[in-house]
Amino acid sequence: MNNWRIIPLETHSAALHMALDEACGEAVAAGKSLPTIRFYQWSPSAVSIGYFQSLMDEVDTELCKQMNVDIVRRRTGGGAVYHDHDGEITYSILAPESMFSKDITASYHELCGWIVKSLSLLGFSAEFKPINDIIVSGKKISGNAQTRRGGILQQHGTILYDVDLKKMFSLLKVDLQKISDKQIAAVEERVTSIKKLKPELAKDDVYQALLKGFTDGKNFTLGSWTEMELDRARELVTKKYAAERWTRMR
Amino acid sequence: MQRIASAKIPGGKFVRVKTEIIDGTLSRVEIHGDFFLHPEETIIEIEKNLAGLSSSAKKEEISERIQRSLQKHSATFIGATPEDIAEIIMKTL
Repeated sequence: MNNWRIIPLETHSAALHMALDEACGEAVAAGKSLPTIRFYQWSPSAVSIGYFQSLMDEVDTELCKQMNVDIVRRRTGGGAVYHDHDGEITYSILAPESMFSKDITASYHELCGWIVKSLSLLGFSAEFKPINDIIVSGKKISGNAQTRRGGILQQHGTILYDVDLKKMFSLLKVDLQKISDKQIAAVEERVTSIKKLKPELAKDDVYQALLKGFTDGKNFTLGSWTEMELDRARELVTKKYAAERWTRMR
Repeated sequence: MQRIASAKIPGGKFVRVKTEIIDGTLSRVEIHGDFFLHPEETIIEIEKNLAGLSSSAKKEEISERIQRSLQKHSATFIGATPEDIAEIIMKTL
């Protein structure tokens, strides 16, 4: 059985989180680190956009600046996401591709199954909805995105603890220019959060359930970043994730 | 002149295409969206290989060119197909 390293819940900037994912992936590929699962929060709150998205089409960059909301481009595809510091827990999985199905949709199903398991520990009946969502009672509670580079599968995603749709709508440009109550109601039909369904649950309850659900049946150790990973991550922040050239790439 | 067209693919993702046509030729194509493409860098090849197509190209020609780029890089789209993207490009021609 494979041994896993678990990096416990930590809080960093958007750029550093993306850089840690990439540095970790490199270390796992080089055999210097174990396959890793990490959990994290974003400070400041941030918007992340998918690799293929146009920054200016998706994000109100001026408003983000005014509200001190970071912006980062992910190296995974998928959509624009508002990562509220208090409103969600994000996870990343970095492991050799060979551990999972070659079929990308099947691997989404398998890895999202860890979230489904975690949510069941909290009493939710969640299900995986292809391509990359998890739903509870027909509403999205988790979005996920995957990339495979250098023999490493990276999947990261968010579990929505508390959603402020008005704030999200103001930071993310939507197709229709104005934010109307009707549009917010329409999105509320499709998106939910832990707090909306079970207000008695604290964020730490969710984190503990994720820890348990993700590590179920695995050999694992609670670990920390190596100096090499941290140095490489800091380099990637400067050269890539905090650099305009990367963020404004498309 | 830049032309833009987009669509939410049923059961798939959102795709927005921006094209520039100069003298009856697609001089530039950008494909944006919340789809997935593995490996991701293939998007540059796809966009580059679509440039030079005639603005009177048929959907099948466009789709085929995208497919060839995918095959060259053993790449896979998730959330959109070459045909979906070709159809959206056609809206700009």
